[in-house]
Amino acid sequence: MSNSDVNISRRSFVEKSATAAAALTIAPGMFLHTVAEAKPADQAVSSAVRWGMLIDTAKCASGCTACVSACNTENGIASHDRPRTDQQWIRKVTLRDKQTKHEISLPMLCQHCEKPPCVDVCPTGASFKRDDGIVLVDRHICIGCRYCMMACPYKARSFAHETVDNTVDHQPRGKGTVESCTMCVHRVDEGGTPACVEACSEAEHGAMIFGDIKNPDSEISKQLLKHGGKQIRADLGLNTGVRYRGI
Amino acid sequence: MQQLNKRMHNTLITIAGLAMLAFSAFAFAGEKPSFAPKVPHPTNGSTECVQPEDEMKKNHMNYLLHQRDQTMHEGIRTKTYSLKECINCHVPENSEVRFGDDKHFCSSCHNFTAVSIDCFQCHMDRPMEGKGTQGENPHSAHTTPTANKTTISTDVADTSKSVQDTKEAGNE
Ligand code: SF4
Ligand code: SF4
Repeated sequence: MSNSDVNISRRSFVEKSATAAAALTIAPGMFLHTVAEAKPADQAVSSAVRWGMLIDTAKCASGCTACVSACNTENGIASHDRPRTDQQWIRKVTLRDKQTKHEISLPMLCQHCEKPPCVDVCPTGASFKRDDGIVLVDRHICIGCRYCMMACPYKARSFAHETVDNTVDHQPRGKGTVESCTMCVHRVDEGGTPACVEACSEAEHGAMIFGDIKNPDSEISKQLLKHGGKQIRADLGLNTGVRYRGI
Repeated sequence: MQQLNKRMHNTLITIAGLAMLAFSAFAFAGEKPSFAPKVPHPTNGSTECVQPEDEMKKNHMNYLLHQRDQTMHEGIRTKTYSLKECINCHVPENSEVRFGDDKHFCSSCHNFTAVSIDCFQCHMDRPMEGKGTQGENPHSAHTTPTANKTTISTDVADTSKSVQDTKEAGNE
């Protein structure tokens, strides 16, 4: 990497590398649902499962923000009309190939890395990975130092700068702590599907599949086996749980 | 001067000791001191908490803390000691009363004992719409939540087996 590259913002860095990796042929539309198993409420999550997502950029419609709105509603995230500091768990990113001008649109969220840098840097143990691969912030112990925000290559985390007065009971959030996509862990633990994935299929785009990538019989594993799924910034070796097609 | 300080110190300790004795006399007699806070009880006919009342008074924080860590880190979502369920049962749905107000279930005691907690900087201090259980006995139905209905079931039959297989294969 040349010196001048070092100064570009993380977002454009991610975008550039994703575009560089572009030009994969897209297979015809597939059935994009998968079923999640409900575990008994008193049973701990297990590493026999690894939750992941596969996002097909060919199906992701530019201009559609169904996943973003669904996430905001589900988790009680409200805007303060300050885009630079508003919390954001998922965002839409448009990648444009400079040469061909070809544009693709994709949702960007916590990639639920197998080796999450946010966990490595956290001084308190608040940033952690569950056995089933979901990366979370335990806001009971987060001190709001924001190291994890700096460490995340995907700009996936946000800081709650202001008092949160619109929390929902399944997603307590509060001022002074860091938060990010939880893969709708409250739904997943009850056998459900993340709100964004559900909204995408309800909007009839079906660009997102959710499932257990360790289970070879799950829809997501079958799709991954057949078509592959790229990691954004695969060079970092984080083995992300969120994979993309068509980048 | 030093002598005087020491005397005052001793007097203070004696006074504190006497005060504590007086307080424990109340406790041992099992009588509520007249200045005790009025704790609002659930209006759903439920007369028993998840543990006997005395136990809950003394140790509710330990149950909550234990549950908190289990839920957060291990995804264990049983309802018995969940803060959410305390609120669902003890605070009426659509209640105007907020945490901090003497009439709020948690505040009624916490205000009195001057123990400040920060649970409700994040957690809801009242049931979410449709979740309140003041109308029913919440301790009679601790069932596993049902699966989200929006998923379309494919390959359900074999999943558990293949999950096991995957573990052995160390699929990474
Ligand atoms: S994407 Fe960022 S927040 Fe998510 S696990 Fe990786 S480093 Fe952590
Ligand atoms: S902000 Fe919180 S979760 Fe992030 S590194 Fe600091 S203590 Fe850990």
